[in-house]
Amino acid sequence: MDMLIAPERLELAEAVRDFLSGTHGPEVLRRLDAGPNRDPALWQGLVEMGLTGLLVPEEHGGLGMGLLDAALIARECGRVALAEPLVESAFVAVPWLVAQGDTSDLATIARGERRIAPAHRLNGAVADGEGAALDSIDPLRRLTTLPADASDDALLLDLGALMAAAQLVGLAEAMLDQAVEYSKIRTQFGQPVGGFQAIKHKLADVAVALEFARPVLWRAAQALDDGIASAAVHVSHAKVAATDAAYLAAESAIQVHGAMGYTYEVDLHFWMKRAWALGGAWGSRAFHLNRIDAAVIGGPHPIGPENTFA
Amino acid sequence: MDLTYTPRQQAFRAEVRAWLKAHVAAEPLLTLECEQGYHQHVAWERQLASGNWGMVTWPEAYGGRGLDLIEWLIFEEEYWSAGAPLRVNQNGIFLLGPTIMEYGTEEQKARFLTPMAAGEVIWAQAWSEPGAGSDMAAIKTTAYRDGDHYVINGQKTWSSRASFADWGFGLFRTEEGSQRHKGLSFILFDLNTPGVTRRPIRQLHGHPGFAELFFDDVRVPVDNRLSGEGDGWKVAMATAGFERGLMLRSPGRFQATARRLVELFRQHERDASPAAREAVAKAWMDTQAYAYNTYAVAAKIMAGGSIGAEASLNKIFWSELDRAMHRTAMQLLGAAAELRHFADGRVNDWLEGYMFSLSGPIYAGSNEIQRNITAERLLDMPRVGAG
Repeated sequence: MDMLIAPERLELAEAVRDFLSGTHGPEVLRRLDAGPNRDPALWQGLVEMGLTGLLVPEEHGGLGMGLLDAALIARECGRVALAEPLVESAFVAVPWLVAQGDTSDLATIARGERRIAPAHRLNGAVADGEGAALDSIDPLRRLTTLPADASDDALLLDLGALMAAAQLVGLAEAMLDQAVEYSKIRTQFGQPVGGFQAIKHKLADVAVALEFARPVLWRAAQALDDGIASAAVHVSHAKVAATDAAYLAAESAIQVHGAMGYTYEVDLHFWMKRAWALGGAWGSRAFHLNRIDAAVIGGPHPIGPENTFA
Repeated sequence: MDLTYTPRQQAFRAEVRAWLKAHVAAEPLLTLECEQGYHQHVAWERQLASGNWGMVTWPEAYGGRGLDLIEWLIFEEEYWSAGAPLRVNQNGIFLLGPTIMEYGTEEQKARFLTPMAAGEVIWAQAWSEPGAGSDMAAIKTTAYRDGDHYVINGQKTWSSRASFADWGFGLFRTEEGSQRHKGLSFILFDLNTPGVTRRPIRQLHGHPGFAELFFDDVRVPVDNRLSGEGDGWKVAMATAGFERGLMLRSPGRFQATARRLVELFRQHERDASPAAREAVAKAWMDTQAYAYNTYAVAAKIMAGGSIGAEASLNKIFWSELDRAMHRTAMQLLGAAAELRHFADGRVNDWLEGYMFSLSGPIYAGSNEIQRNITAERLLDMPRVGAG
């Protein structure tokens, strides 16, 4: 029993964080928003980092890593509100294809030449798909209509929900950081507003929500990677915890920014809108809460102190 | 990351489970906040010690088993799952014990830890004063040096267990004219020393769970000071870290409450609101989240890390979670919530637990203080004014 995330896994995620913070800052979000909102150069950078092949087995030209590694990196993608469709192609579609034994596209996916837009019926739409464009509030999301052959596969849903949860945690962390920074520079009544306890306590609550969403996320990633029977319950737990943390972070951050937070000019809205999108995608809060309810209250999932890792 | 137990850990779990099954009484003890219940709980501490279960992480030399934090968590899980009694010596074993382990001399370790693990000496804590609650650095009670003794004068309050306990520990001002965090020392004292007067305080539930302590020229040997003279604040912060952090409230306690809440919900399902249903599901989610986080912190400590201001996040989370679970139960019970005993004679544990849960966000540093610490030390927000 060891819940420590190995240092080498964290080092990889930190390298991705450094790369993204250097190449995908707020100015990039604004540039993409003003233009075609996808950029081949950014995609190429992700490919060169090896991220498109992160979960592709080594014999197909990938790095052969696990879902926990992918969740750690998906969180980093959330942290910068990444526009490119890396997570759903490389961390959702790839492990699903691998699980089905469908290896034909893996090498081209790893090389970044092919992207898969996983379509699940529960979503009602596809991000970066082939269908007609839909109008998302998220200016950097390319939402399209669901194809007729969309899947209703349970594993695909769990992978999508897990990676959405991971991005939501990163989005929430970024929004908390932005609110903290703003609270230090905005002065009223002769002091930074971050010195007021009303502001401190609001943001402390976000820190609490995140502190207790992260280990749920790691546990869900490991459970799905291990393929344990109860993995779906843990994925649902992660999705609910991450969604709640992200909504709390977004509402707290806009409040701390005051009227500035309500403008298009302050970058916060990119993160907030992505949180709204991913909070509803891959199973709504109600869907995941119902799955937990059915297992824990109405069903046979073992609970109590001796069943922490059931 | 490996979320499976080793065969050795599984065998340890089976051993704990078997011992508790053989020793935990079917009839619950009286509350440890009343005199008779206190003595029942002391007897239970001694029974635990007879099986060498007093504090499994401590070295064998002090009555422990020299086990690691994962094994401690397994012990705690089984302990709470078995419905075993509250630990009347928690101030000692969870707070003072680890502090002595870190700051005590070899002589102090031998003198205090062994009887603590054995349940022979039960400890009270003496932090707060009438003018020093959340603002603990405002402590006024003095302990001035007179030869090889300190002479204590002043008053402590909200001193948990002090109505019946044997010994106490707390912070005292040892340097005349010193201010705030300076000039304080961490001193252990026998509650039966001449000059100590205990005045029990009735708590919400009617029992004297804490007491006021009056010190009138109380002579305490200098050997009872932990760490250096004037180092008290640093030592007390370590104790507070243990209190808010890993040890005081292990997840098993809350997971057991969540399981009872699910059972209660099933009994009341027909009359329950959708909001209650969500609150019950959330109880499972949050107690699990707390458990995962504790396992992660334990792994971090075992890998050589430490727990810092994150302890404040823990304290906010478990105390508000405990209150929320008991509130949900009170609402599910409806008209029966007010009964101290149900019609069949059973104690209404939900009511007793709800009353106790209301103290959680207050003791061990109020949650307002914890939110300040979170904002200032973890989020690096500006410190302005008091606090």
